[in-house]
Amino acid sequence: MKAPLILEIIGNSLDDGPGIRSVVFYKGCPLSCVWCHNPESKKISGEISFDPKECIDCDTCLKLCTVNALSRKKKYFIDRKKCTLCFACADACPSGALSRVGKEMTVEDVLQTVLRDKPFFENSGGGVTLSGGEPTLFMEFTSMLLRTLKKERVHTLLETCGLFDWDVFEEMATLFLDAVYFDIKIFDSAAHKKHCGVGNEKIFANFEKLLILAEKKKIQVTPRTPLVPGITDTDENLAAIAAYLKKLGVKKSILLSYNPLWHVKTSKIGSEDPMGKNSDAATWMARERVEGCRNIFLGNGIQV
Amino acid sequence: MLIHNASADKARLSPTGLILHTLLKVMAANFNHRAALKRYLITPDGPLDFAIGIRTESGSVLSGIVSREGAISIVHGMPDNANAVISFRTDTAVRKLLGGTSTDQIYMILKNEARIDGSITYLNLFAFLLSLLIWKKQIAAMKKERNKAKKSLLKKAPNARRDLSDELSARSKSRLRCLKADRGVQYLDDPYLPDFSIDNFPRLKKFLDIHLTVKPEVCPEIPRLLTEWHRKNGFETDSNGRSWVPVTRKALAYKYLMENREPKIGEDSLIAGTTTSKRIGCPLYPEGSAVIIWNELITMPHRTHNPFDISEETRELLHNEIFPYWIKRNFREWVREKYHNPLCQQIDERFALYFNWKVATISHTIPDFPKIMRLGTSGIIAEIKTELEQEASIEKKATLEAMILCLEGLTAYSKNLSGQSLKDAAAEKDPIRRKELENIASICAQVVEKPARTLDEAVNSMWITWVGLHMESMNAGLSLGRLDQWLQPYFVADMEKIKSKSEREAYINHAVELIGHFYMRCADHFPLTPDLANFYFGGSSSDQAITLGGITPEGCDAVNDMTYIFLKVTEMLSIRDPNVNARFMPGVNSDTYLKRLCEVNLTTAATPSMHNDAAIISTLSEMNYDIQDIRNWSATGCVEPTLSGKHIGHTNMQMMNMVAALEMAMNNGRHPLTDWKLGPDTGVVERGDFKTFDDFFDAFTKQFKFIIDQSIEYNHMLAEAHQYLRPTALLSSLIGDCIQKGMDVTKGGAKYNSSGTAIIGLADVTDSLMVIKKLVYDEKKISFADLKRAVDTNFENNSALLALVRKKVPLFGSGSDEAVAMANRVAKWAHDYYGSLPHYRGGKYTTGFWSMSTHVAFGTLTGALPSGRQSGKPFTPGLTPQPFASKSLLDNIRDVAKLDPVNLNNNIAFNVKVVPAAGDAREKTVNDMFSYVKTYFDLGGMQIQLNVVTSEMLKDAMAHPENYRNLLVRISGYNAYFVTLNHDMQIELIERAEYGI
Repeated sequence: MKAPLILEIIGNSLDDGPGIRSVVFYKGCPLSCVWCHNPESKKISGEISFDPKECIDCDTCLKLCTVNALSRKKKYFIDRKKCTLCFACADACPSGALSRVGKEMTVEDVLQTVLRDKPFFENSGGGVTLSGGEPTLFMEFTSMLLRTLKKERVHTLLETCGLFDWDVFEEMATLFLDAVYFDIKIFDSAAHKKHCGVGNEKIFANFEKLLILAEKKKIQVTPRTPLVPGITDTDENLAAIAAYLKKLGVKKSILLSYNPLWHVKTSKIGSEDPMGKNSDAATWMARERVEGCRNIFLGNGIQV
Repeated sequence: MLIHNASADKARLSPTGLILHTLLKVMAANFNHRAALKRYLITPDGPLDFAIGIRTESGSVLSGIVSREGAISIVHGMPDNANAVISFRTDTAVRKLLGGTSTDQIYMILKNEARIDGSITYLNLFAFLLSLLIWKKQIAAMKKERNKAKKSLLKKAPNARRDLSDELSARSKSRLRCLKADRGVQYLDDPYLPDFSIDNFPRLKKFLDIHLTVKPEVCPEIPRLLTEWHRKNGFETDSNGRSWVPVTRKALAYKYLMENREPKIGEDSLIAGTTTSKRIGCPLYPEGSAVIIWNELITMPHRTHNPFDISEETRELLHNEIFPYWIKRNFREWVREKYHNPLCQQIDERFALYFNWKVATISHTIPDFPKIMRLGTSGIIAEIKTELEQEASIEKKATLEAMILCLEGLTAYSKNLSGQSLKDAAAEKDPIRRKELENIASICAQVVEKPARTLDEAVNSMWITWVGLHMESMNAGLSLGRLDQWLQPYFVADMEKIKSKSEREAYINHAVELIGHFYMRCADHFPLTPDLANFYFGGSSSDQAITLGGITPEGCDAVNDMTYIFLKVTEMLSIRDPNVNARFMPGVNSDTYLKRLCEVNLTTAATPSMHNDAAIISTLSEMNYDIQDIRNWSATGCVEPTLSGKHIGHTNMQMMNMVAALEMAMNNGRHPLTDWKLGPDTGVVERGDFKTFDDFFDAFTKQFKFIIDQSIEYNHMLAEAHQYLRPTALLSSLIGDCIQKGMDVTKGGAKYNSSGTAIIGLADVTDSLMVIKKLVYDEKKISFADLKRAVDTNFENNSALLALVRKKVPLFGSGSDEAVAMANRVAKWAHDYYGSLPHYRGGKYTTGFWSMSTHVAFGTLTGALPSGRQSGKPFTPGLTPQPFASKSLLDNIRDVAKLDPVNLNNNIAFNVKVVPAAGDAREKTVNDMFSYVKTYFDLGGMQIQLNVVTSEMLKDAMAHPENYRNLLVRISGYNAYFVTLNHDMQIELIERAEYGI
């Protein structure tokens, strides 16, 4: 079974579904959105992160590296072309400035972690959310996880970009899902390909099939649209999405306010910031702008 | 008795020593030749004789001050029979004292740059005399320090964040509604009482404003009247030279006090009687800690933290008439004299290891209010008289007669109140108020002598009794108990007589207002704290704990109408005292009730504190107490359980710094800060004496045992002092079994007896032991000697090791079962050892893990620890995990809940700081809070207390206190106004982990 690397499991989340939830973040995603708030989740394979703020200059790592990949003179400290990902430096780093991105975990490992918080799920109407990255890249793993969670009577929620094989998804996941947060990011497929790496036809097709299935299987499906300045937050895009949702009879949607704090993450994994040139990208959205976006949906009879 | 050098070596004096000596000579000259000053050396009882030594360790400073027959002389060397010697480490320290602010001076004592051997009281007398000369400078220095601090804060945060302070005050605008769910709620349609707000009660609003504005004033009424009586009738012996039986002596003096104290009806109050003669007063307790403020008689109104006003008249009275009379007749000095300044007392007075509360008081109990409301003093006296008819020893007879005397005194006071009410009514112009006063007069004619019949009579009966108890025991920790249970029958009886809906609504309104008046009456006094206490118990008021909800003695749901009325008043007033606690029994009390507790915490930001009845009852069941009495438990002072009306638990017997034992184990019995080889030899780290982790754990427990043994020895000595100096017959008449046994509570007359500790530093000790076990022994990543070296140098040259210990070892609260097991191991050892010790009243010593604010003070006095905590930083409050233990609050909650309740029989304080999301609806926020608390209780957690406030708000409040004068915070067990706390405590609160909801 193809098992994902797990980025982290965050407990006590109040923002990823109803109640108090534990969120499992998978590593790996079929899309590559320029605004991705978790850029370290794009690549499936493991990486090393370096956070200069935590570094205490003890030089432990420099002494351990056998391929000379580390240097304070380098822009991101690690020369990722030389690095063999042996992780010796990350494991030895006392302060955690160097750390592994992505941990090997079995289904049992994940369950053991999340089920500790089961009493909190019960009292708050919460549960477990699968996110990342893209959990549907690892259908078998995800299916086993969801199946066991349902056996434990835990509420399950999937956050997905929607790009998956429908038949496999229907067979392996839908039986064990209570809710889905489905990303509807950009209406125009060409623009979607430009900013996310892939066109949106399959995504929208999956969405429509899911809505039909949801009625029968009692799954709560909620579309989510991230508000990204200059890219998704245009009136054109939002109006198109709102109309589309209205046509499908969707009554409720989620708009994700833009959070500029993700920018520091790209340098930690040695990537250039894909939105680095965009000045809007560094600031929080003005309240009036967010209100404006909400109104577009409210005007179409969709609660946000 | 103390250090004594026969001859001084004048040539060894340093320049500082010479300067000091000269200054002292100047001081002496001033006193000897200026009549205005000289008179302070002689009191009506005779001259104030004392001898004080001032020195440095090396002898570079070595001077003595001797006051004899009204004249001061300065000598070289230590004076013979010095009452106290103050020793400085270095010359620099002396200069610092001379030039420093009062805060500097306090820190010097705390941090061992100076230490006091001998009587603090005499030293404080000397300090008072000194302040007579330099008070202008002292006050200017205090002002300067205050302004400097303010300036620096304003510099960092010049603009007040009105958005934050407005958000806080806006919380009371939003109110949830509910559907009645509790069986015991009979008359409230919506028990949340959403239509009531402080705006409906203008009088309460006025009282609140006074409370937040008026400076408390020192009130000498108690010692004045007691001293008056004693001067006529003697203390040790009566006017015929016969020895007084202590309980009789005290009861007679008490009765005199009660008959002669000023009967006051507080302005606009619905409740008769006041704790002091001042609007907001600090009562003085001469057998306790009154004399300790001698040095602050002039400067007290000007100190930065908790200043108290003091009139010229009071100052003169205290110095001339009162303090000299009681200078040896207080608990601390009585023990010092009898036991010759024993080691256990010396350790206490170094402040770094433990603090025994009996130097000030016992208090900390719940009187049998239902009894006095039901029977009145006449009924209780009748019961005592019946008991007296039986065969009895002399002591038993004396004790019973003493109880009668005290009850008669209390009755006399209530009659005086009745008379005063009528006088006030006659002089009152406002007809409404006149009617109220006439009503009060007839209430006081009925209570406390006879049974209470209505809610108004019950509340007055309770309050007058409360005042009476405070005339006998210090206003520190005496607690009110299950008022919702005890007042509900009167509420119901009143309601039954009212038939119309509108009249019932008016009556509910009246009940809310009456309880509001009661709360504000409780806030009419403040404990007298020396400046030093501002660092230990900063911001603490009297901590009169009220306990709501839970289950009845029969095990049924106890939540009733009064429970919700009390919660409403708590929410509206949002004051630090009474200290409101709520009991929740999982499976019995409703979610509606628990949600209301969470809502009140949200609105007030910090109260009530919440207790899991199942856990508390389970831990108390270890004691062979009657299960019905266990179910009737009330929180006392901070959080500790007392079996209401039948139990002297002295639940705050001591604050114990457990971390000191760890430090001493690492230093073979030497306490680092005080540089004192106090404890036994248990092994030297550098020598490799600890072959295994268990060897070291063993050493830790040996050191802890030593410290505990010393503290208990002191406790027993102080208990003796209480039995001699201040038996409490009134309290005894209101505590179950004292009458049948004919025994005062100080001797063990109560049905149940115990003493409770507060053990500080569980999380810090656990984390440190984990580092030692994992890194040194299990993983062998570092030698113990290297670790110790890093600790001794405050990790200054070892940032890699510091990072390692902080990040790579599982902490308590991070979700690590191993760390929880370690915490349990430590708590169990403490519980088992304390529980094995013989108790002078025949009960047990219990172990609690809460800290008031001593986690800050003790932290200041402790060096770096293996856990990575650096020198001088606070410990965690109570047993709360480190702020960085986990990003998820749930890990904290689960780990604390996993602690075995058996070892926590004096309760715990688990602090959680939550931050409501700005956009969220009231209901969602309350539901989130509810989810945490409910689950925590489901998992077996014993107690939880919240701070619902952001660090941003707290930082803004530091710089702009005027916008936050009523911002309530939970320290560790008690509430305080954030703006009254000292700097270190404010920072500790700011640095607590906060979790968004």
